[in-house]
Amino acid sequence: MGTQKPFLAIDGVSKAFGGIQALYQVSFDVQERHIHALIGPNGAGKTTLFNVISGAFPPDEGSIRLDGTDIQGCPMHELVRLGIARTFQNVELFAGMSVLENVLVGCHSRTRCGLIGAMARWPWVVREERRARQRAMELLDMVGLADSAHKRAVDLPFGWQRLVEIARALAAEPKLLLLDEPAAGLNAVETEKLSRLIQHIRASGITVLLVEHDMNLTMDISDRIVVLDRGRKLAEGTPREIQSSDAVMEAYLGKKQ
Amino acid sequence: MSSRARLYSTGIFALGIVAVGLGVSNPYEQQLLTIIGIHTLLALGLNMLMGYAGQISLGHAAFFGLGAYGTGIFTTHFQWSPWASLPVVLVTSCLVGYAIGRPILRLSGYYLAMGTLGLGIIAHVIFREWDTFTGGASGLVGIPPLVVGRLVLGLGRTGFFAVWATVVLFFVLCGRLVDSRIGRALRALGDSPGAAAASGIHTAHLKAVIFSFSAVMAALAGYLYAHLLGFISPSSFDFLMSIRMVTMVVIGGMASIWGSLLGASVITLLPEWLHVFSDYEMMAYGLILMVVMIFLPQGLTRGVLDAFQRARTLRGAASS
Repeated sequence: MGTQKPFLAIDGVSKAFGGIQALYQVSFDVQERHIHALIGPNGAGKTTLFNVISGAFPPDEGSIRLDGTDIQGCPMHELVRLGIARTFQNVELFAGMSVLENVLVGCHSRTRCGLIGAMARWPWVVREERRARQRAMELLDMVGLADSAHKRAVDLPFGWQRLVEIARALAAEPKLLLLDEPAAGLNAVETEKLSRLIQHIRASGITVLLVEHDMNLTMDISDRIVVLDRGRKLAEGTPREIQSSDAVMEAYLGKKQ
Repeated sequence: MSSRARLYSTGIFALGIVAVGLGVSNPYEQQLLTIIGIHTLLALGLNMLMGYAGQISLGHAAFFGLGAYGTGIFTTHFQWSPWASLPVVLVTSCLVGYAIGRPILRLSGYYLAMGTLGLGIIAHVIFREWDTFTGGASGLVGIPPLVVGRLVLGLGRTGFFAVWATVVLFFVLCGRLVDSRIGRALRALGDSPGAAAASGIHTAHLKAVIFSFSAVMAALAGYLYAHLLGFISPSSFDFLMSIRMVTMVVIGGMASIWGSLLGASVITLLPEWLHVFSDYEMMAYGLILMVVMIFLPQGLTRGVLDAFQRARTLRGAASS
């Protein structure tokens, strides 16, 4: 199905910070309902690319299209409404809030109540709040944390915090989910659970783009893999093609003697 | 706090106010309690901005003054009825708050502190120098009192009830706000602006909205202040007043509705209690604030609650 219209089209994206070229002319397509992985050594530009896609800062050149719409220069909150949600490499939960409240913040872009509505508590506001809570509990149930809903999010073990963050991102009802190193800091059992969760998310119709260092996980669940090295795209292909690519081996392990 | 707990505590609070209002008949004490109520409104509004959304303002006396001078000018120079000037003052402060908040809140941390400090200073200069309307340094006199039916609201019992009824109303409104989509977005913004934006929150707009909300509350406090006292002068809306407002929030407890009441009470009453130190009054005042901040850095509300919690766990450990 190589001729299918890409869901996310990244075309010639470059980004420099001062004298450092973090991304240089990176292009690739992500098909709808695929799990697409970005791999590469540290400093390859993976997180920079995530930040550009999620609207944290604009690229110096190049374009990004989501489902045919040019999303370049869109502010972050607008991109969430358009269907892009993300998690962070270092887990950024709201420290003062419970697990449930963290996920409820994720519902922000799909709810409408404003300052006046909140103070007046119109009937529709009460209904909206009830629906949001129900949805948040369903998501917590899905990631297996319904029992911890009322604990403070930062009191949970690190692996669970990652799951809360994924639930928060899913609460925005995204079409494209960006996961920045979701398996970092997880043990083998947790990684296995995460792998099943990501596949479940894809099965529910969401396209997943992930940055990951855990090769077993990446090779296991990805439909396609893009390899970045020092800001450039080094290779792209199915997990099998990537595993047998000499260029990739070189980037990771150094040149063969 | 659950909404039921909030409802009960607000109900008890309202009953307490009725009891105090009927019980206290000394005019000096009535006046002091009325001023505490006005300060509570100021602290509560600023707490929404500082405590929840995590944005500092060192110039909020500007909006306190906007409310007071706004209604003062309308009712003395243009002979408006105070009730006619109320909506005008509130809407103006709302718009001015948003218009100033949107650009100034692009700043953060120290820079935001400096920016808002400048705002407060400019406002104070306008209050002091625009003699034609504000009466200059000598102030604006003859502001008519609020009249409800045949009841004239003055600084005594009537003013007490008018101010504290407003406080109870805003306790309810702010309680609802905190437990809502907007309240969560505010706390998210205060905790982690990056993650808040990534969760779909339009942070620049939200910051300006809450800045505007706190401006409206300050203006309302100024409106009540002007009509109850009948006289205003620029020194009530200077830099020191802005600092006093921030101190109320910090001493009482950030992100706490009850903390605003406690902070406003302490900061208003402390100078009265400290008169016994005569010449050393300000020194004692400063010392007390320092001690509170060193030993209860989260403010009085959190500090007292934590001490209570500790006492209970200790007692639990001793009995088992």
